[in-house]
Amino acid sequence: MSIIYSLKNVVKERMIENVGFRLLVPNLEISKGENIALIGHSGCGKSTLLDMLALILHPDQAKQFSLGTNDGETNNIEQLWQKKKHDQLSEIRRLNIGYVMQSGGLLPYLTVRENIELPRRLLKLADDDSINSISKVLGIQRQLDKLPGLLSAGERQRVAFARALSHRPSILLADEPTAALDPITARKIMAVVMELIKGLKITLITSSHDWAHVYKMDLRTLHQEASVLENGRVYQSLFRD
Amino acid sequence: MSQLNNILRLSFRDYSHEWRMSGCFVFALASVLAPMMILFGLKFGIVSSMISGLVENPVNREIRPIGSGHYSEQWVEQFRSRPEVEFIIPKTRALAATIQLKSKTANHILSTEMMATALGDPLLKELSSVPKGYFEVILSKEASIKLKAKKGQSIDASLARQFQGKRERVHLTLTVIEIAEAAVSSRNIAFVNLDLLLATEQFKDGRAVPELGWLGDTEKFEERQYPSFRLYAKSIYDVNHLVTDLEKQGIRVKANTAEIYTVQSIDQNLSVIFWIIACVGAVGFAFSLGASLWANVDRKKKELSILRLLGFKSSRVVLFPLVQSCLTGLLGWLCAVLIYLVFEQLINRFLAPRLNLDQTLCFLLSEHFFWALGLTMVTAILAAILGGFRAAKIEPSDGLREI
Repeated sequence: MSIIYSLKNVVKERMIENVGFRLLVPNLEISKGENIALIGHSGCGKSTLLDMLALILHPDQAKQFSLGTNDGETNNIEQLWQKKKHDQLSEIRRLNIGYVMQSGGLLPYLTVRENIELPRRLLKLADDDSINSISKVLGIQRQLDKLPGLLSAGERQRVAFARALSHRPSILLADEPTAALDPITARKIMAVVMELIKGLKITLITSSHDWAHVYKMDLRTLHQEASVLENGRVYQSLFRD
Repeated sequence: MSQLNNILRLSFRDYSHEWRMSGCFVFALASVLAPMMILFGLKFGIVSSMISGLVENPVNREIRPIGSGHYSEQWVEQFRSRPEVEFIIPKTRALAATIQLKSKTANHILSTEMMATALGDPLLKELSSVPKGYFEVILSKEASIKLKAKKGQSIDASLARQFQGKRERVHLTLTVIEIAEAAVSSRNIAFVNLDLLLATEQFKDGRAVPELGWLGDTEKFEERQYPSFRLYAKSIYDVNHLVTDLEKQGIRVKANTAEIYTVQSIDQNLSVIFWIIACVGAVGFAFSLGASLWANVDRKKKELSILRLLGFKSSRVVLFPLVQSCLTGLLGWLCAVLIYLVFEQLINRFLAPRLNLDQTLCFLLSEHFFWALGLTMVTAILAAILGGFRAAKIEPSDGLREI
């Protein structure tokens, strides 16, 4: 089983109104094809961790932070951040990662089809039937030529998933993707997505507020441990299995 | 670079998707640019009219020597070859240059001033031919009225002199080949070929003119010297140059430099005023466009963060406001040109006739339009720098979530 993410002593700190927030990941290894859920209440740093895994946020400290990609390479992420190799990080992101936000991840001036196509265009991938088939699986085939403004929230999230998967990335990151939807729609969508990624052998890392559902889906979970340090001036959030 | 193509395409799609907002920027630019074009068009039209008014009247390009001098054929020939000279012809002694004219249709004898003319004489530009040989003449309007003479008519010309104690008179028959416009001169003038003028001078000096059968001294000439000349510069801008050169040669001259200087001075002053207004307008517009592009980037932070998330490089995302700024510049210019053309027609067709002015009161050359486009695009690009900096500073993880 090849390792995708390997994190050791990764720290991210922020100051918000004189209170320090600290995210700490002492030891995390994620293998290819695993499905992982981050559990914790709002504001505990789930999004921060996902952003670091998505290579759009740099860690303040890291003993190790590496990412194994499909081509067999292991990329030393913390070194790339230190050397400010932003373009290389962009490239790794473009090739290997798909990201779904809680809401509003679509470009309003492109049609649904154009939104889904965009990651493929960036990689200069040829036009094949994959967009049509993925749209069929997610139930949005009839919306392909509409602008996102005309879709319901649920439909928009399905499109977001389609876009995140259209370039066949090895990693799918999802930040509370169904939080803005009603529970029935939410569960329907997640069921379809789980089937898709199983078929495509994609590694999923998601954060969720619907804990009961997550436990039912039998995902590996990462829990948050909160503690208060330095006489109440720093709030620390630690993630471990 | 596929990223570049994609950014261009996405910027354009975003711009047209937000057509109401984009339209506001376009109109804002046009509302600053169009009045400036109209202002410049008026300045250019007015000054051009003034200049062409000066140019059309050859008197404004004439350079007149003061007093008498000694100018040889050679000197005249040499001066003629200068690029600033449109026309130069020698003048004989003023006293010798009169002739008595009489026509059958009018009963009196008219004492007429003679002026030498040749092909290219600016005074007679509208006429199709100039007098050749001894027997052709062009009459000024005034002379033709007094003699009641028409084109093609023959008139009698005579000269008198005191020779060997006797008073002598000779006659010639001249054909009126053309009649000059009234604007050319208000005096009685007979425009003749230089040959006839020289023959007249010779006769009055007591010399023979064998070609016309007039008797007199047949002594050989030394090189002929003319006391004066009639000179026109090619344009009013050449006048000053020629005046300086002649004065360097010790020849004192007079020209309409005062009027020319007035027009040039008006041109300069209007230009300065125009450029001050234009600069203030351009700076103001650049700042307002820059500020709105900056605000736009702020407003679109989430969308630009999404692009970074998808893997667009920061250097490409910076182009987003730049492309939109250029689109605003181009469309704004087009809009301003259309508005300008409408006003140009209104001014020239309705306002100018009312003020009894030339129909080209408001006027721009096609190169002016392209200059305006160039300056607009430079301003748009500079304004985009502000937005570009803002876009470069976006931290995708901050921009993605509305905090």
